[in-house]
Amino acid sequence: MSMNLNLTLKVWRQKNSNDKGHMETYEARDISTEMSFLEMLDVVNEKLALEGKEPIAFDNDCREGICGTCGAVVNGIAHGPQKATTLCQLHMRHFKDGDVIYIEPWRSKAFKVVKDLIVDRSAFDKIIQAGGYVSVNTGQAPEANNIPISPEKAELAMDAAACIGCGACVAACPNASAMLFVSAKISHLALLPQGKVEASERTLSMLRKMDELGFGNCSNERECEAVCPKEISIANIARFNREFIKANLGSTVE
Amino acid sequence: MQLESRAPGGPLQEKWDKHRFDLKLVNPANKRKFDIIVVGTGLAGGSAAATLAESGYNVKNFCIQDSPRRAHSIAAQGGINAAKNYPGDGDSIRRLFYDTIKGGDFRARESNVYRLAQISNEIIDQCTAQGVPFAREYGGMLANRSFGGAQVSRTFYARGQTGQQLLLGAYSALMRQVGAGNIEMFPRREVLDIIVVDGQARGIVVRNLITGEIESHAAHAVIMATGGYANTYYLSTNAMNSNVNAIWRAYKKGAFFANPCYVQIHPTCIPVHGTYQSKLTLMSESLRNDGRVWVPRKSGDKRNPNDIPESERDYYLERKYPSFGNLVPRDVASRNAKAQCDEGKGVGSTGLAVYLDFRDAIKRDGAEAIRKKYGNLFQMYERITAQDPYRTPMMIYPAIHYVMGGLWVDYNLMSTVPGLFVLGEANFSDHGANRLGASALMQGLADGYFVIPYTLGGYIAGSSLSDVNESHQAFKDSVKKQTEQINKLLSINGKRTVDDFHKQLGHVLWDNCGMARNDADMEKAKKMIPEIRDEFWQNVTVPGSAGDLNQSLERANRVADFLEFAELLVEDAISRRESCGCHFNVDFQTEEHEAKRDDENCSYVSAWEYNGEGKEPTLHKEPLEFENIELTQRSYK
Amino acid sequence: MGWFIKNFSSSIGKKQIMAITGLIFCTFLTTHLLGNLSIYGGKGSFNSYAEHLHSLGVLVNVAEVFLIIFAALHISMAVVLYFQNLSARPVRYVKKKNAGGRTISSTLMPYTGLIILIFVIAHLINFHFADHTNQTIFDIVSNVFSNPIYVISYVFVMIVAAFHVKHGLWSAFQTVGANHPKYMPFIMAISLIFSLIVVVGFASIPVYIFSSI
Ligand SMILES: Cc1cc2nc3c(=O)[nH]c(=O)nc-3n(C[C@H](O)[C@H](O)[C@H](O)COP(=O)(O)OP(=O)(O)OC[C@H]3O[C@@H](n4cnc5c(N)ncnc54)[C@H](O)[C@@H]3O)c2cc1C
Ligand code: FES
Repeated sequence: MSMNLNLTLKVWRQKNSNDKGHMETYEARDISTEMSFLEMLDVVNEKLALEGKEPIAFDNDCREGICGTCGAVVNGIAHGPQKATTLCQLHMRHFKDGDVIYIEPWRSKAFKVVKDLIVDRSAFDKIIQAGGYVSVNTGQAPEANNIPISPEKAELAMDAAACIGCGACVAACPNASAMLFVSAKISHLALLPQGKVEASERTLSMLRKMDELGFGNCSNERECEAVCPKEISIANIARFNREFIKANLGSTVE
Repeated sequence: MQLESRAPGGPLQEKWDKHRFDLKLVNPANKRKFDIIVVGTGLAGGSAAATLAESGYNVKNFCIQDSPRRAHSIAAQGGINAAKNYPGDGDSIRRLFYDTIKGGDFRARESNVYRLAQISNEIIDQCTAQGVPFAREYGGMLANRSFGGAQVSRTFYARGQTGQQLLLGAYSALMRQVGAGNIEMFPRREVLDIIVVDGQARGIVVRNLITGEIESHAAHAVIMATGGYANTYYLSTNAMNSNVNAIWRAYKKGAFFANPCYVQIHPTCIPVHGTYQSKLTLMSESLRNDGRVWVPRKSGDKRNPNDIPESERDYYLERKYPSFGNLVPRDVASRNAKAQCDEGKGVGSTGLAVYLDFRDAIKRDGAEAIRKKYGNLFQMYERITAQDPYRTPMMIYPAIHYVMGGLWVDYNLMSTVPGLFVLGEANFSDHGANRLGASALMQGLADGYFVIPYTLGGYIAGSSLSDVNESHQAFKDSVKKQTEQINKLLSINGKRTVDDFHKQLGHVLWDNCGMARNDADMEKAKKMIPEIRDEFWQNVTVPGSAGDLNQSLERANRVADFLEFAELLVEDAISRRESCGCHFNVDFQTEEHEAKRDDENCSYVSAWEYNGEGKEPTLHKEPLEFENIELTQRSYK
Repeated sequence: MGWFIKNFSSSIGKKQIMAITGLIFCTFLTTHLLGNLSIYGGKGSFNSYAEHLHSLGVLVNVAEVFLIIFAALHISMAVVLYFQNLSARPVRYVKKKNAGGRTISSTLMPYTGLIILIFVIAHLINFHFADHTNQTIFDIVSNVFSNPIYVISYVFVMIVAAFHVKHGLWSAFQTVGANHPKYMPFIMAISLIFSLIVVVGFASIPVYIFSSI
């Protein structure tokens, strides 16, 4: 049943990447428990706009958990308290009347805050540019069924490929490491025959790019896996580590 | 102006081949010298940008999102069609062609649709080679499932995330080219204007959404793949950033707008539950493979669905359409749901919902099998509604989902502005008055991977293109004009928010030009829209400034265009004196309440020409000729 | 050689060095513990174990050199990783909670590591570099563990070491790529059991000695 909540929000406000930023307090009144978290922010923003104040900037697009655009650290947890859920899928029924909610942007050296809760995740694109693909031009493909793939492998590859690139793994990692993200792509492609061809080059160059961009190192804290809205497993990180050994010691690629 | 479809002559099967041969080629070594702008990184834009860069063009690629990987295509769930006939159930290129034409209620161009069906198989090959993890059979071969409007199983899928996986495939190809230096990527940019010089599209003006700067970009040709305008209705299944701006501004620069009234309403969406709601969520059509749609026989039956015995349930789709059952095309399924609710048989707190029930499928195949097929969709449903579809039937209702209309293009996918090509959902091309499920992904990728690389070359090689760069007066004029519009929006300081206007517009459209339309309501909408627009320009409030990231301003800019475009949408709906596919005017219906076409008078594509501010647009008609298909009253019985 | 330096100074490379050296230390701990347990056989048995060990002569020195190298690698990597990780998040969260992945032992890794390092130095001073001329190793041990402060701190450090090992052991497997849905629960269980053995095995000795004098 739907109920109405009154909440106190503590929100990170920062004008742009050069601004220092600070927490600011807002009251959110009459929030229906059926609203999504972002709809709750919409309501707060509508009110701010009518008062002539600048609404809280936050990234979002699909609002159904697939585009990976949204995200904030809510009460200390990336994407909020609900497991396997993006911020846009989080509903207010998981909060109680009178709750104080802290809302902060992803924090990492590699993700600069652009404004308020919006961060620059272009580092992820750069990592993919370094090798997150199969080098096949349009028109070069063989007939699809010439490459049989066991459903087991296809499913495992799909588990990894389900990554939405939201960056919650980096935000949650005590070391701001991007290993879960990178390993998901490495795994997706390493599991498929199409991707095996250039696995060594891919592994080394994506790894080097990741290091260069200032992400931290994985110390197997598993916070990434715990917050991942797509429940991507750290088994992928192990596969990445394995692929690294193969590329490092078992291939002629430098 | 005469509309030239440029569809080649000759037998249907040979048209595309012959056309490709007839198109002039650009010397590979010369391609570097040509700058091509691609707006959009969805399936259509992403695949086009990557492929053009692979072949040697110098590409500049733009999108609104922070990363090209987040284009709206990412949200497509169910699958992508192809005529591979792997299951051996009688599919063929011709059948896919026929189903698509028929599904579109005979309002699409034969030549385009046939080409689409021909290309469909190559798409699957290409995506598989990129590493798209399509579902597999036990032996390792690709698996298929069924979608609405077809009696064969031809839909390839990657769980309920097919769009995501296909887009990530295109995105990876795109990133590869960005890494190789062949594409310059411009994320967080929004197109404000198309620059036409000497009658040719030669560039765009965009707003940098982070710095607020208005930037000019010149090129030898412009490709727009900016997606659909379903968000004109405010509530839709489209992503929040989907808009009409880019194509609307191209329309104002001379590109004709085709069939704006063809808006698809998807039968299986999570019903609206509150006024604060910001968007609607689709439950993939693939669910209709196993889910059965029903309402209680008695109107106003408020019992728990699980307590309603079999004899008191009406599986109305299975009853009315025995041969297609729950898999009738979307327009038919949607209208039937509405009809049931109008009769008072709707369920849920609003009475605007019907059941989609998996009880029998779970009994038959076990919960695990159902979880494998639809697990993520069930989870998505549960997240939103807090109900468990494994135990109680889903509640669904139709919602605005997709637009068949878009900029008019010829067989080369070029608009009426030479050098301006339009791909994907942004064009009007292949789906007639109703799109079949799993065909948009196919079309977007066909356009981007396999059509534009040929037809663009033909244009470049066959045109004389003068030297134009960003210092051209046309850019300067446009930047000035766009800056003025932005400053105007910021200076109104009225009393209503942008979203408030958008919601109001959405209501007017949904109520008066939605699933079942009538002349009186549409006339009413036509009167109301300019009033809302006038008020918008006097009473909207847009906080913040022009010189930095300002989401209110972004939205205001979009809503301003929705408010203009909506009028054309309604105008088009009024002008079409028939019902066809998704355009259902209650004055034109068969005795069984199906859409009644008028092939004699209405077998045309409407293409609207802009005549300047405050002037009525001109309606042009491209006649549709069917040489290979017999026009029939669609029947899914 | 360029590739060697490049790869082993990458984030995964560094961690694999830590993992391998860590695994070596776990093996070392096992043999060390087995040797130490001979103390339960009485003074004679313990002293003869020590003599046997020393009779290996130069082999012991080689082993010691290697252990020092491994320790240096393990510690230097730890330090580098620690500071890199700190700098990867220049602005901290106002509010941060665990989402369910972190454990006490994983959180405390750098600190438990530091304590172990200090302990090892003290341990070497106490036992290895103690004056062996007039006393057997058993005498030295009994002497040290007659002091309750030593006993308590020794037990404390063994608990700390158990925490370090509990995360470190499975983590080393993970870092060298040994994670498989079928075997991972087993590796996790082994890590827990091994850390318990470490704490019970090593910490029981001072308690035993203290209570038997
Ligand atoms: C929920 C959902 C499920 C669907 N499921 C299926 C399915 O199963 N099968 C199927 O075939 N189809 C499906 N569709 C339809 C299909 O997803 C879309 O029609 C298709 O993805 C559109 O692709 P596109 O490349 O044309 O445009 P989009 O993917 O919408 O991309 C538009 C691009 O243009 C950019 N852009 C837009 N406007 C501007 C501007 N003004 N300035 C700059 N850049 C701009 C955007 O940033 C984006 O990069 C589904 C649609 C929805 C909403
Ligand atoms: S807005 Fe797309 S995942 Fe949340």
